[in-house]
This record gives sequence, C-alpha cells and structure tokens, in this order.
Amino acid sequence: MLTRPKPNHELPLAVSSGDPAGIGLDITLMAWLRRKDSPIPPFYLLGDIESLKARAELLGLDVPMKSVEAGDASRCFADALPVFDLGIHTEVTAGEASSGNAKAVIASIRQSVLDIREGKARAIVTNPIAKHVLYEAGFTHPGHTEFLAELASLWGRSPGSVGKDSGQYKPVMMLAGPDLRTVPVTVHVALSEAVTLLTTELIVETGRITASELVTKFGIVNPRLALTGLNPHAGERGSMGREDIDVIAPAIAELRALGIDAFGPMPADTLFHAAARTQYDVALCMYHDQALIPVKTIAFDETVNVTLGLPFVRTSPDHGTAFDLAGTGKARADSFCAALRLADIMSRGTQPVDRHGAD
Amino acid sequence: MPVSTCPTVALATGCPAGIGAELAAYVLSSSDLPANGRLIVFGDTRVLEKGAKALGVVPRAHILTKGETIPSAAGSYFVDLANLDPATIPVGTYSEGASAFAVETFSAAIDLGISGEADAVAWTPFNKACMRLTHPGYEDEIVFTAEKTGYKGAASEFNILPNLWNARVTSHVPISRVAALITFDAVMRSLRLTHQAMRESGFANPRIALAALNPHAGDGGNFGREEIDVLEPVAVAARKEGILCDGPFPSDTVFVRAQRGDYDAVLTMYHDQGQIAMKLIGFEAGVTLLGGFAFPLVTAAHGSAYDIAYKGVANPGAMMNAMAIAFRMADARKKAKAA
Repeated sequence: MLTRPKPNHELPLAVSSGDPAGIGLDITLMAWLRRKDSPIPPFYLLGDIESLKARAELLGLDVPMKSVEAGDASRCFADALPVFDLGIHTEVTAGEASSGNAKAVIASIRQSVLDIREGKARAIVTNPIAKHVLYEAGFTHPGHTEFLAELASLWGRSPGSVGKDSGQYKPVMMLAGPDLRTVPVTVHVALSEAVTLLTTELIVETGRITASELVTKFGIVNPRLALTGLNPHAGERGSMGREDIDVIAPAIAELRALGIDAFGPMPADTLFHAAARTQYDVALCMYHDQALIPVKTIAFDETVNVTLGLPFVRTSPDHGTAFDLAGTGKARADSFCAALRLADIMSRGTQPVDRHGAD
Repeated sequence: MPVSTCPTVALATGCPAGIGAELAAYVLSSSDLPANGRLIVFGDTRVLEKGAKALGVVPRAHILTKGETIPSAAGSYFVDLANLDPATIPVGTYSEGASAFAVETFSAAIDLGISGEADAVAWTPFNKACMRLTHPGYEDEIVFTAEKTGYKGAASEFNILPNLWNARVTSHVPISRVAALITFDAVMRSLRLTHQAMRESGFANPRIALAALNPHAGDGGNFGREEIDVLEPVAVAARKEGILCDGPFPSDTVFVRAQRGDYDAVLTMYHDQGQIAMKLIGFEAGVTLLGGFAFPLVTAAHGSAYDIAYKGVANPGAMMNAMAIAFRMADARKKAKAA
C-alpha cells in the first residue's frame, strides 16, 4: 500500500439523515442546492436514497443524486448529492413520525461515526431526531448526544477523563452563533434540578473541556472564558443566593490554577451585549436557557449546536424535526448550512493562531 | 378629593448630580404632552434652570411655591421646593445635597399619588447609591414607594420597548427559590396586572406570551412539571377571563416570536430570563413601569448618567416615552374613576 493518506480537509462531512419524516431531508437537499452560491463543504448523506428522491419530488427540487461510498463523495459533490445508501428502505411519509423509521435513523448515526473512525469522513453533522420515536423502537440512550458519546468508545478510553467515570468521553454542549459562543454547564433538566446539579467539580470539568477544544478545534490560543452567575445580578454579594460565591467562584479559581483564562461570575443580563462580547471567547452559563436565550436572540437562524469533548467533531442545526414543516418547502436550511460550515472549520486540523493576530 | 378632571401626572426631578434636571427641563419644554393633561413637576427652580441651560431648552410652567394649591386646569406646573442650590453640590458624583433633594422630590410626587391628586407618578432618573446617603434604607424605587404608601402586596416591574412589554413573576430572588414561587396564583396575578396595565396604556387587547420555566418548556414533563401543572392551567384560565394569552413557550424562542410581531408582551418567570433578551433587544432605550400600587409609577429605563451630566447631550427619548405612557395610564384611570 503506497497510497498516501488523503489530506484531512479533502474528506467529506458525514450527514446523518435524522428522522426521515422530519425536515432533515428537506434541509439536506436545500443545502446541496446552495453549494454554488455560498461556501458549502462537500458532504454526503447516510440514508435511504429512495426516501430522499421522494422528498425532492415532493418539494419540486431538481437534485441529481449519486449512490456512493464515503470515499467517493467529495469527487462527485459538485455534480450530484452523494448518498451512502444503507439499504434500509421504509415507506416514509413527510410529517408523520413512525417508529418504523427508527432502525434507519440509528443506522445512519452509527455508520457516520464508523466512517469517521475509518478515516473516510472528517466530521458528522447530525439532522434532528425525535427521541420518542426511537424510544418506541427500543432505543435506550437518553438522547442523540449520549448515543454519540457511547459510539466514541470506538476510539478507546478517553485519555483526559478522571474520577468515577474514567474512560468515558464527556460530551459538552456548545451553542455557536456568528458573534457568540455559549456553553450550558447543566443542560436538559428542570430549572430546580439544575441548581442542585451545579457543583464546582462540574463547572471545572466543563470549563476544562471547553477551553481545550477552543484551542484544538477553533484555533484560539489562551481562550477567555466568562462564567455567568447563577442568580440575578450574580447574587449581589450573596444577598440573592450563595451559589455564585460558594460554587462558581471556587470553580473559577480552580480553572485559573489550571492556567485557563476564566473570569466571573458575571451578571448574566449584562454579559451579552456587543461590547461585553469582545471580552471573552465563550460564555459558560449555569443552565440551559441562560445559554440559549442570548444566542437565539442575537442570531436565531444561524445558531449551531456543537458537541465538544468527543474524539470527533459533531455539529447539528439548532432546531428539532419540525414534522409540521416537512415536505412543505417552508423549512429553513440556514442553521444546517451554518452547521456544515462550522464542522468544516473545526475539523480542518488548523494550527492554533493567536486570536489577537487572527481577528 | 381632587377637583381636577384632567389626567394628572406628578413628575419628580431626578438626581441633580446626573441628567435628572436636564430631562425634567426637556419634559417641561416639550410640545408633545397631551393638551388635556395636567403635569405637576417637583424640584427647585435653580436646578431646573441649570438643566434647561445645559440642554438648551426653554421649560414652560406655572411656578408654584411649596404647599400652594395647584390649579385644577390643564397645563404644566412646577412646584418649587426651594431645597437645593445646585452650586453647592458636585456634578457627576454623590453628595448629601443631591441625595436629600432627590428623596424630597420623589416623596412629594408619591404623596400626590397617595392623595389621588395625581393619577400617575413619574421621575427622571435617580441614583440609588446617592439616595442612600441621606436615606440609608433606600433599596430601590419599589421598596421606597411601598414604605411611603404602606402597600404590603407584591409590586411588579414592567420593562417596555415601543412594541414589546416584559413583566416577570419573580425578580430579585435566588434561582433556587424560583420554582417554588411559580404558583397558579402568582402567575395569574402577574398576568392580570400585565393585561390591565397594557390596556390602560393603550392596547385594546394585548397579546401576551407566557415563557416556560424549564428548558424546552419541560419537554412534555421530562425536564420539570411546572409547565403542565401550573402554566398550562394558567393560560386556560386567563383565556376564560378574556386575556389573550398563549404558551408556555420555550424561553429561548419566546422573544423571537414576540419580536416577529406575534405578541405584544412576554411574561417571564425569573429575572435573567427576560433581562438577557430585553437588554439585547435594546431595553436601555426603554421605559420602566411599576405596577401593583394604587397608582402607576413610570420612568426611563436608563440611569442618571453621571458621566454626561449637564453636558447637553442627554437623550430625552426614553423619558418622553415614559411620559406618554404615564399620561395614557392617567387618562384611563381618570375615566375609570369618573365612570
């Protein structure tokens, strides 16, 4: 074997089909059609080519498709939408969730990760899934991200992990918009539960993973982390809650001791305006909506969901399956296109550059 | 009881070390006040003149001395409390003189609200830290008004942009206490207050969106049950009362819906939920309204801007929006009293 490995940035991005009854197929078709007008990195869809053809017809979109394996996707991308047909055909009706689609949905995610592991794809961009559909078919993972974290065991044990979960990859959710990145430390739990889950240890671990990934995937030297307060006005010296003093401030001290440029806790309501945003590369927020409200208010259509902490790059559009829009032509592909572009940037293996020189 | 049939607003001159005097002078010089309105401004003529000179405006008002009977006819009146020579205080910083002046003007305006002579109370911006120099217990305008009026119930703060109102069910409390405070009665009360205040300020039937407490509006009960147990029943009950109310919506997109024009107001469950979005949308140019008291209290959302005091560059836009809301609410209340 004398073939040289391909330079990484020539590899295509793997796009999982998501729930084929949702808007995933719609926005995948729309994104490919945009390739001439805006920078869309080469990608291929892993799914059922018949379902995709049916959706294109339903939408009245003229999209040539080519059944390929991952390795040939980049070559044909300019002329046809490359599809890695997984051979699982089901009758899909746009907008109608069906547990009959679950097997294909899961296979698409699994094969995407396998392709990355085998060096055939660079990163995965996932289309939205509907968890309740998968649960009906016996899916046992809490969500999309947890399933991807389990598939990460293909890479062996996580080298950086510590403590009781040693060996497991810890996924960290990041929202990335054009002008703001946020990371929620606690994620999909009730607000009252978020308060009890918030510990110094969790904040430090999340901050450590975030900082490390900003260096390696975003090319930011010495990333600056702004941490929000949990309480209004960051607790106002303890008069409106003690977590800011007792939990968050010690986490900031620990992160700084690790050499990470972390500061706060900052009152969350004044942290996100344009001038404040120049002071940090990411805002570490204490609960889901504290992170989501600012990114969506600033750039609703262009926000990308990124999973940090895995041995591969994963991005996804920041919306759900939107079954009511599937097949209608009303779905918007902006967030999906932004997810493709960000996955491209994050997986180029760019050498870190000094942000002061880069911006 | 008051004899005036004119909608009446009492306006306190705010911090004389900041832009309070300039904005009071601007309001008195404006031709945008309603013709049937009665405006009663409290301050000191020397402070007012200093503000007018700095901003280059000519205030028009009948000057009255403290304690003098205020005519019942429409028009602008300036009650000279003669309580501060502006030459005796530093500009752009705290002083006891500035503090005592502001506490007295605010007290006088609130007294007019308490007596019923004023239908609404307004002020140009105060500086809380300055107020504390002579009134150490001064926490904020809500607490001060509650002390003065003896009102023991909950007051609500509204943040108002030209096309978007925001009210919140809880405010300055730890996040750990929020969920326990989100009860049917508390949310319903905030919703009714919002509906009423908006109707009084000119919305025929305001459309109000309820923000969810939990991420993804609880995801069908997976991430908390308050949406199912509290907020959905509130929305149903409110609609039965004729309040146009939808939700609960996930709070990361509820402001996107409202900004798109689907709603006139968002009722949020806790402080940062509304403040993060409103401050990004441009709330610094907005208006703050305090509801729940016997009379509405209104001011500009921005502060006393010590850095630009008496430089003639203060922007009166937010304060004039506050005066417009104060007069509309005063008018509605006057009509309601007459009916």
